[in-house]
Amino acid sequence: MEVVLHLPVVPNVELVAAKAVETLGGALGMPQTRVEASCVAIVEACLNAMEHGGGEVVVRLSGENEGGRPRLVIEVEDHGKGFDPNRTPRRTVVQVRGCASKRGWGLTLIRELMDEVQISSQPGQTLVRMSKYVEGGP
Amino acid sequence: MNEEQLHLSADVLSSGVGLITAAGYINNEGGQAIADAAGGLMERGCGTLLIDLEGTRIINSIGVSILLEIMERLLEEKGRLAFCSLTPTIAKTFEIMGLVQYATIYPDQRAARADLEGHASG
Repeated sequence: MEVVLHLPVVPNVELVAAKAVETLGGALGMPQTRVEASCVAIVEACLNAMEHGGGEVVVRLSGENEGGRPRLVIEVEDHGKGFDPNRTPRRTVVQVRGCASKRGWGLTLIRELMDEVQISSQPGQTLVRMSKYVEGGP
Repeated sequence: MNEEQLHLSADVLSSGVGLITAAGYINNEGGQAIADAAGGLMERGCGTLLIDLEGTRIINSIGVSILLEIMERLLEEKGRLAFCSLTPTIAKTFEIMGLVQYATIYPDQRAARADLEGHASG
């Protein structure tokens, strides 16, 4: 079971990706709360890709079975200049209080809301691969 | 999840409590619409704002960062911010982004109003 989307950079297109997550997560039998967490994560990944990638965003969704545990795997790929994922520390509210800009929460949310996250980035390609198990861990 | 359009209303309740109900996608535009409504209620004398998110299923961090700005503005004016009717994922997002450190979360509008209007009038 796989879905591939090629998203143009237009307002609110990230909701198309969220809708695909909702549909595929539901088909896998994922509880609504876990589906909604995955929706927020993919929205954040798509917004980052559109903001920093500068062009079409490719989204791949698939249902996989890891060690007998079904999971939803999400990949979001852009073709921007890339970044060092190790230099994006976890954001905290203390950092942003009093600052004019309170943005920059995307990766923090993705890492907190998903079960597994891997980010690879180099000039010309950034790939965020994340997964959410259908059921919570033991 | 057909929620692109944010449906919003703002009302002044008793005892200086302002109520904003917002249903839909809270992105940059949705967050700004809530901020504008909050500013209007504060100008009308509301020192406590309750934002009811029943009907909101998805948000993004840009929209929530605007809610952080509302929170700061209220705190500067010794006001109070509260939310109710959050989905578990929105509550978790607010927790990650630190809103719950400075705002009160209620399970529903009834519980929120019982507490806030009681406090404000007391």
